[in-house]
Amino acid sequence: MSTTTTAAAAKGSDEKLPELVIDKHVAYIQALGKNQDFAYHLTTHLRLNAVYWGLTALCTMGRKDALDREELIEFIMSCWDDEAGGFGAFPKHDAHILSTLSAIQILVMLDALDRLDIPRVVSFLLSLQNPTTGAWAGDRFGETDTRFLYIALNALSLLDQLDKVDRELTVNHIKACRNFDGGFGTSPGAESHAGQIFVCTAALAILDRLDEVDFETLGSWLAERQLPSGGLNGRPEKLEDVCYGFWVLSAMSILGKLHWIDDVALMKFILSSQDTEMGGISDRPGDMVDVFHTHFGVAGLSLLGYPGLQDLDPVYCMPAAVIEKKGLRKGWVALPRRTEL
Amino acid sequence: MSHGVRRARQSPQDIEARRLKEASKIQEYLDLYNNVMNKKTAKEWSQEAFDLTTQLLRANPELYTIWNYRRDTLTNGLFLSKTPEEINNILASDLQLTFAALRQHPKVYWIWNHRRWCLENTPNGPGTEENGEPGTPNDPVGWKRANWMKELAVCEKMLDADARNFHAWSYRRYVVASSPDSRPLASELAYTLKKIESNFSNYSAWHQRSKILSGLWESGEKTEQEVKDQELELVKQAFYTDPNDRSAWLYHRWLVGSGNDARILEREIAVIQELLDIEPDRCIEAIVHYKRLLIRHKPQDADKLKSDCAEGLRTLSRVDPQRRRRYEELEQSILGS
Repeated sequence: MSTTTTAAAAKGSDEKLPELVIDKHVAYIQALGKNQDFAYHLTTHLRLNAVYWGLTALCTMGRKDALDREELIEFIMSCWDDEAGGFGAFPKHDAHILSTLSAIQILVMLDALDRLDIPRVVSFLLSLQNPTTGAWAGDRFGETDTRFLYIALNALSLLDQLDKVDRELTVNHIKACRNFDGGFGTSPGAESHAGQIFVCTAALAILDRLDEVDFETLGSWLAERQLPSGGLNGRPEKLEDVCYGFWVLSAMSILGKLHWIDDVALMKFILSSQDTEMGGISDRPGDMVDVFHTHFGVAGLSLLGYPGLQDLDPVYCMPAAVIEKKGLRKGWVALPRRTEL
Repeated sequence: MSHGVRRARQSPQDIEARRLKEASKIQEYLDLYNNVMNKKTAKEWSQEAFDLTTQLLRANPELYTIWNYRRDTLTNGLFLSKTPEEINNILASDLQLTFAALRQHPKVYWIWNHRRWCLENTPNGPGTEENGEPGTPNDPVGWKRANWMKELAVCEKMLDADARNFHAWSYRRYVVASSPDSRPLASELAYTLKKIESNFSNYSAWHQRSKILSGLWESGEKTEQEVKDQELELVKQAFYTDPNDRSAWLYHRWLVGSGNDARILEREIAVIQELLDIEPDRCIEAIVHYKRLLIRHKPQDADKLKSDCAEGLRTLSRVDPQRRRRYEELEQSILGS
């Protein structure tokens, strides 16, 4: 809160926004998997998620057709783990709730749900909830995390199976994860973290139980994530990161408090994290890009009203049009889309 | 995904050179990876398979499927022909083996998960319920006690290295809660105090403290008021020492709560007012919050309190413009009420 920062922030609002180099980012996403370096081989445990990040980023940039639909579907289906009834991150990888959601989201975006054995996937998803505590596991080994609870609700509602969920049990578990600062953690007792706050807020939104959130306390904690650079961190005393630009923003959008941060400063932070030569976005300016941050950077820009982007539903982190068509839109508020930079 | 890795400009020649250099590394890795995946698909639960997972996980600890396979080779294969003592030895050694991986990758969920599994599968023994004696070599849960204590030490090391590692805090909570020895809440409280005193800006330790204290008054060991009065003293020291730090202010706000006690509100406002000269911004925000809560207790002072709040919020809008729309909204809400 120095005078220098104040002056910089005030000046910032008058300047034109930098450009989002959409063509470069599209080319970057299309090229993923072509350069199979060591890092590529070391990340098979994330591959299906990466496809979801790439496709969603393309959709947000209005370039959904930049990837081949059939190739995508073929890859997804090759990740099916028939023993478990879910999807792994890569062919022959064990089913996990993380990759299962990515698969379902992609199939919904590609309008290819008919390829899915819905009863089996639903059974897999429901089997992972602890009937006593309401906590949700990620796979048969039982690690529980509120991320998985949100994932289950997201997936089940996309499949029109939300009625199979014990709402009271689920909401009570989320409540048990609520903290002194209004935020939420991975499990009862765990510290508030923007990622967990996003999943718990979005989960409550899906269940129409946002009454369990202290809007003011949590909203102000989230607003405090904005640092002098304009970027957002995930919890106090941590570094800013473009991906928190989504986790924090989506939660604030669900709470209707997006105006509590400086939108221009954040947009500039995200835009300055682009690699304007090679395409892609990184966690912060000057770092290596990856598809994860590319997706969340573009997602954040969409919520902030950056011109020329498609609307993104922050609850589902999918194209708003797709979610609306399924009748799943909740009462979130994004900033109005600007018509120019 | 990558975090904190600087972007490097590479010429096509650089990229090609690196690709050639990596080619043999990649092939070696893929040979190992494919070998293990084939054994997994064939449901092979041999010692050889187990040893290969050790190699592969050393190369890539994020392969969750291989952690699964490692556990399955133990459960479906190696454990079946072993005595409880041998099983314990394997698990204790696995905990030791994966500690190196943990140090290098302190935030990889899969490694922490594997540790829990090892703890959970530790057999009872060496003693039995009938002939065993706690605290002796014939302790009925001696192996568990030993493994749990080692894991607590692992947590301490990990939290000394990074006091904000939430994986380590969660794991610590799990170890403490599921330990064969119940630890009194007081000792957990002492641990958080140690962490806070070494660095007041330790949000994770304040958070943990908030959980333990709630547990204390919920169990009836102390009353809520007793606990909160003591804590207000501690947190006051914290924000006097380092008024810039957010943790103490948020913790203070939680202690004061919904402001049902006007006496506490007024006392705390006075305490903070003393700091005003040194750290205006944080203090102003806190004072605005507490004066706002005071309004309903002091209707005769309502106008003065509201105008104090409005003035404070206008100052905040000026010194913290990023969040000015929040302050403006709050001001409108207070004046309009």
